[in-house]
Amino acid sequence: MASPFQPLLATVMRLRGTTACLIVDERDGVIVDSTLQFGMRGNVFAALISSLYRKAKQSAASAGMGDASFVQLEAELGRVCAVGRDGLVLIAVADPKANLGLLRVELLKAREALA
Amino acid sequence: MNVQVAEPWVEAPLRQFLDDARVRIAVLMHPSGQVLGQSGFARSEDIMTACALAAAINASAGELGRQLDGKPFNGLHYAGSAQQLFLGGIATPRGGLLLLTVFDDSSSLGLVQVFFDEFRQRIANAAPAHEAAGPALAENFEGDLNRNLAALFGKA
Repeated sequence: MASPFQPLLATVMRLRGTTACLIVDERDGVIVDSTLQFGMRGNVFAALISSLYRKAKQSAASAGMGDASFVQLEAELGRVCAVGRDGLVLIAVADPKANLGLLRVELLKAREALA
Repeated sequence: MNVQVAEPWVEAPLRQFLDDARVRIAVLMHPSGQVLGQSGFARSEDIMTACALAAAINASAGELGRQLDGKPFNGLHYAGSAQQLFLGGIATPRGGLLLLTVFDDSSSLGLVQVFFDEFRQRIANAAPAHEAAGPALAENFEGDLNRNLAALFGKA
Protein backbone atom coordinates (compact mmCIF):
# COMPACT_ATOMS: atom_id res chain seq x y z
CA MET A 1 0.00 0.00 0.00
CA ALA A 2 1.41 3.38 -0.98
CA SER A 3 1.92 5.78 1.90
CA PRO A 4 0.91 9.45 1.69
CA PHE A 5 4.63 10.30 1.56
CA GLN A 6 5.33 8.54 -1.76
CA PRO A 7 4.88 11.67 -3.95
CA LEU A 8 7.21 13.59 -1.66
CA LEU A 9 9.88 10.89 -1.84
CA ALA A 10 9.47 10.66 -5.62
CA THR A 11 10.01 14.43 -5.98
CA VAL A 12 13.30 14.29 -4.10
CA MET A 13 14.44 11.10 -5.84
CA ARG A 14 13.94 12.73 -9.25
CA LEU A 15 16.85 15.10 -8.56
CA ARG A 16 20.01 14.04 -10.32
CA GLY A 17 22.52 12.37 -8.02
CA THR A 18 20.02 11.52 -5.25
CA THR A 19 20.49 7.88 -4.33
CA ALA A 20 18.13 7.41 -1.38
CA CYS A 21 15.38 9.26 0.41
CA LEU A 22 13.79 8.37 3.73
CA ILE A 23 11.18 9.68 6.12
CA VAL A 24 12.08 8.69 9.66
CA ASP A 25 10.38 9.11 13.01
CA GLU A 26 12.59 11.61 14.83
CA ARG A 27 12.10 10.20 18.32
CA ASP A 28 12.24 6.49 17.48
CA GLY A 29 14.68 6.51 14.56
CA VAL A 30 12.42 4.09 12.71
CA ILE A 31 11.64 4.36 8.97
CA VAL A 32 8.15 5.61 8.09
CA ASP A 33 8.66 5.39 4.32
CA SER A 34 11.69 5.21 2.07
CA THR A 35 13.18 4.73 -1.36
CA LEU A 36 16.54 3.03 -0.93
CA GLN A 37 19.33 1.72 -3.06
CA PHE A 38 19.71 -2.05 -3.19
CA GLY A 39 22.06 -3.22 -0.44
CA MET A 40 21.66 -0.17 1.78
CA ARG A 41 21.07 -1.05 5.44
CA GLY A 42 18.10 1.27 5.77
CA ASN A 43 17.20 0.55 9.39
CA VAL A 44 20.76 1.09 10.60
CA PHE A 45 21.14 4.26 8.53
CA ALA A 46 17.79 5.64 9.68
CA ALA A 47 18.53 5.01 13.36
CA LEU A 48 21.96 6.63 13.21
CA ILE A 49 21.09 9.61 11.04
CA SER A 50 17.96 10.48 13.04
CA SER A 51 20.09 10.38 16.18
CA LEU A 52 22.57 12.71 14.50
CA TYR A 53 19.74 15.02 13.48
CA ARG A 54 18.38 15.14 17.02
CA LYS A 55 21.85 15.87 18.41
CA ALA A 56 22.34 18.63 15.83
CA LYS A 57 19.03 20.17 16.86
CA GLN A 58 20.00 19.98 20.53
CA SER A 59 23.37 21.55 19.75
CA ALA A 60 21.76 24.44 17.88
CA ALA A 61 19.27 24.98 20.68
CA SER A 62 22.02 24.79 23.34
CA ALA A 63 24.03 27.39 21.47
CA GLY A 64 20.99 29.68 21.51
CA MET A 65 20.63 29.45 17.75
CA GLY A 66 17.04 28.21 17.71
CA ASP A 67 15.82 25.28 15.66
CA ALA A 68 18.08 23.56 13.12
CA SER A 69 16.34 23.91 9.76
CA PHE A 70 18.75 22.02 7.53
CA VAL A 71 21.44 19.53 8.55
CA GLN A 72 24.12 18.42 6.11
CA LEU A 73 26.80 15.76 6.48
CA GLU A 74 29.64 15.61 3.95
CA ALA A 75 31.39 12.29 3.47
CA GLU A 76 34.08 11.07 1.12
CA LEU A 77 31.64 9.52 -1.32
CA GLY A 78 28.54 11.59 -0.86
CA ARG A 79 26.32 13.80 1.23
CA VAL A 80 23.46 13.29 3.61
CA CYS A 81 20.96 16.11 4.05
CA ALA A 82 18.10 16.22 6.52
CA VAL A 83 15.18 18.48 7.35
CA GLY A 84 12.53 17.89 9.96
CA ARG A 85 9.08 18.91 11.08
CA ASP A 86 6.49 17.70 13.59
CA GLY A 87 8.50 14.67 14.70
CA LEU A 88 9.41 13.48 11.22
CA VAL A 89 12.77 13.80 9.48
CA LEU A 90 13.18 13.81 5.70
CA ILE A 91 16.62 12.53 4.74
CA ALA A 92 18.24 12.52 1.32
CA VAL A 93 21.44 10.75 0.33
CA ALA A 94 23.24 12.17 -2.68
CA ASP A 95 26.46 11.47 -4.52
CA PRO A 96 29.18 14.15 -4.71
CA LYS A 97 28.08 15.31 -8.17
CA ALA A 98 24.54 16.13 -7.07
CA ASN A 99 23.39 19.76 -7.24
CA LEU A 100 23.39 20.56 -3.54
CA GLY A 101 21.59 23.91 -3.95
CA LEU A 102 18.69 22.31 -5.78
CA LEU A 103 18.54 19.46 -3.27
CA ARG A 104 18.43 21.94 -0.41
CA VAL A 105 15.60 23.93 -2.02
CA GLU A 106 13.59 20.77 -2.69
CA LEU A 107 14.10 19.44 0.84
CA LEU A 108 13.05 22.71 2.43
CA LYS A 109 9.99 22.79 0.14
CA ALA A 110 9.20 19.17 0.99
CA ARG A 111 9.56 19.95 4.69
CA GLU A 112 6.34 21.96 4.49
CA ALA A 113 4.48 18.82 3.39
CA LEU A 114 5.84 16.78 6.29
CA ALA A 115 3.05 17.60 8.70
CA MET B 1 29.43 2.90 33.17
CA ASN B 2 29.25 0.36 36.00
CA VAL B 3 28.67 -3.19 34.75
CA GLN B 4 28.17 -6.15 37.08
CA VAL B 5 28.24 -9.70 35.78
CA ALA B 6 27.64 -13.14 37.23
CA GLU B 7 29.65 -14.79 34.43
CA PRO B 8 32.73 -13.16 32.86
CA TRP B 9 31.89 -13.83 29.18
CA VAL B 10 28.91 -11.47 29.50
CA GLU B 11 30.92 -8.37 30.42
CA ALA B 12 32.52 -7.30 27.12
CA PRO B 13 29.38 -7.59 24.95
CA LEU B 14 27.23 -5.90 27.61
CA ARG B 15 29.71 -3.05 28.05
CA GLN B 16 29.87 -2.57 24.28
CA PHE B 17 26.08 -2.46 24.04
CA LEU B 18 25.88 0.14 26.81
CA ASP B 19 28.52 2.30 25.13
CA ASP B 20 26.88 2.05 21.71
CA ALA B 21 23.19 2.28 22.49
CA ARG B 22 23.43 4.84 25.33
CA VAL B 23 20.76 3.10 27.38
CA ARG B 24 20.17 3.80 31.10
CA ILE B 25 19.57 0.23 32.21
CA ALA B 26 20.49 -3.11 30.66
CA VAL B 27 19.93 -6.51 32.23
CA LEU B 28 20.87 -9.80 30.61
CA MET B 29 19.00 -12.74 32.09
CA HIS B 30 17.75 -16.26 31.58
CA PRO B 31 14.09 -16.45 30.53
CA SER B 32 13.49 -17.89 34.02
CA GLY B 33 14.54 -14.57 35.57
CA GLN B 34 18.07 -15.42 36.70
CA VAL B 35 20.36 -12.47 36.09
CA LEU B 36 23.64 -12.88 34.18
CA GLY B 37 24.76 -9.27 34.02
CA GLN B 38 23.42 -5.80 34.56
CA SER B 39 24.07 -2.10 34.55
CA GLY B 40 21.85 0.62 35.98
CA PHE B 41 20.38 -0.95 39.11
CA ALA B 42 21.92 -0.23 42.51
CA ARG B 43 20.05 -2.73 44.72
CA SER B 44 19.72 -6.49 44.33
CA GLU B 45 16.01 -6.30 45.33
CA ASP B 46 15.29 -3.99 42.39
CA ILE B 47 17.03 -6.20 39.90
CA MET B 48 15.29 -9.30 41.26
CA THR B 49 11.93 -7.58 40.81
CA ALA B 50 12.81 -6.34 37.32
CA CYS B 51 13.98 -9.81 36.24
CA ALA B 52 10.87 -11.52 37.61
CA LEU B 53 8.60 -9.02 35.83
CA ALA B 54 10.58 -9.25 32.58
CA ALA B 55 10.43 -13.05 32.70
CA ALA B 56 6.67 -12.89 33.21
CA ILE B 57 6.24 -10.38 30.37
CA ASN B 58 8.34 -12.58 28.09
CA ALA B 59 6.32 -15.67 28.97
CA SER B 60 3.03 -13.85 28.39
CA ALA B 61 4.18 -12.28 25.12
CA GLY B 62 5.55 -15.63 23.96
CA GLU B 63 2.27 -17.39 24.61
CA LEU B 64 0.27 -14.55 23.07
CA GLY B 65 2.43 -14.81 19.95
CA ARG B 66 1.90 -18.57 19.81
CA GLN B 67 -1.86 -18.09 20.09
CA LEU B 68 -2.04 -15.33 17.47
CA ASP B 69 0.79 -16.06 15.10
CA GLY B 70 1.81 -19.67 15.72
CA LYS B 71 5.19 -18.61 17.08
CA PRO B 72 6.30 -16.55 20.09
CA PHE B 73 6.81 -12.80 19.75
CA ASN B 74 10.48 -12.05 20.05
CA GLY B 75 10.71 -8.44 21.08
CA LEU B 76 8.67 -5.98 23.07
CA HIS B 77 8.80 -2.21 23.12
CA TYR B 78 6.93 0.07 25.51
CA ALA B 79 7.19 3.82 25.06
CA GLY B 80 6.56 5.90 28.16
CA SER B 81 6.51 9.67 28.16
CA ALA B 82 10.10 10.02 29.40
CA GLN B 83 11.56 6.52 29.30
CA GLN B 84 11.12 3.53 27.03
CA LEU B 85 11.56 -0.18 27.56
CA PHE B 86 12.79 -2.81 25.12
CA LEU B 87 12.83 -6.54 25.84
CA GLY B 88 14.40 -8.86 23.29
CA GLY B 89 15.28 -12.54 23.06
CA ILE B 90 18.71 -13.93 22.19
CA ALA B 91 19.52 -17.46 21.02
CA THR B 92 22.88 -18.77 22.26
CA PRO B 93 24.57 -22.18 22.40
CA ARG B 94 23.51 -22.26 26.07
CA GLY B 95 19.86 -21.66 25.22
CA GLY B 96 17.73 -18.55 25.09
CA LEU B 97 18.53 -15.35 26.99
CA LEU B 98 16.68 -12.05 27.43
CA LEU B 99 17.91 -8.49 27.36
CA LEU B 100 15.84 -5.94 29.24
CA THR B 101 16.83 -2.37 28.54
CA VAL B 102 15.48 1.05 29.49
CA PHE B 103 16.40 4.20 27.64
CA ASP B 104 15.43 7.85 27.45
CA ASP B 105 15.79 10.59 24.85
CA SER B 106 19.57 10.10 24.73
CA SER B 107 18.86 7.04 22.62
CA SER B 108 16.00 5.83 20.41
CA LEU B 109 14.17 2.63 19.56
CA GLY B 110 15.96 2.47 16.22
CA LEU B 111 19.39 2.75 17.85
CA VAL B 112 18.53 0.19 20.51
CA GLN B 113 17.32 -2.26 17.85
CA VAL B 114 20.43 -1.74 15.72
CA PHE B 115 22.83 -2.29 18.61
CA PHE B 116 20.69 -5.08 20.07
CA ASP B 117 21.20 -6.99 16.80
CA GLU B 118 24.97 -6.56 17.21
CA PHE B 119 24.79 -7.49 20.89
CA ARG B 120 22.80 -10.61 20.04
CA GLN B 121 25.58 -11.69 17.69
CA ARG B 122 28.35 -10.92 20.19
CA ILE B 123 26.64 -12.74 23.04
CA ALA B 124 25.93 -15.77 20.86
CA ASN B 125 29.61 -15.87 19.88
CA ALA B 126 30.87 -15.32 23.43
CA ALA B 127 28.59 -17.82 25.17
CA PRO B 128 30.47 -20.99 26.14
CA ALA B 129 28.84 -23.99 24.49
CA HIS B 130 29.77 -26.63 27.01
CA GLU B 131 27.11 -25.84 29.60
CA ALA B 132 23.63 -26.70 28.41
CA ALA B 133 20.78 -24.57 29.73
CA GLY B 134 18.86 -26.20 32.54
CA PRO B 135 15.11 -26.33 32.91
CA ALA B 136 13.39 -23.03 33.53
CA LEU B 137 12.48 -23.90 37.10
CA ALA B 138 15.08 -26.40 38.20
CA GLU B 139 15.09 -27.59 41.79
CA ASN B 140 18.12 -25.39 42.52
CA PHE B 141 16.55 -22.31 40.91
CA GLU B 142 16.53 -20.22 44.08
CA GLY B 143 20.10 -21.17 44.87
CA ASP B 144 21.23 -20.19 41.37
CA LEU B 145 19.30 -16.93 41.57
CA ASN B 146 20.88 -16.00 44.89
CA ARG B 147 24.32 -17.05 43.69
CA ASN B 148 24.06 -14.79 40.63
CA LEU B 149 22.79 -11.86 42.67
CA ALA B 150 25.60 -12.40 45.16
CA ALA B 151 28.13 -12.41 42.31
CA LEU B 152 26.69 -9.13 41.06
CA PHE B 153 26.41 -7.29 44.35
CA GLY B 154 29.04 -9.07 46.42
CA LYS B 155 26.71 -10.49 49.07
CA ALA B 156 24.21 -13.33 49.45
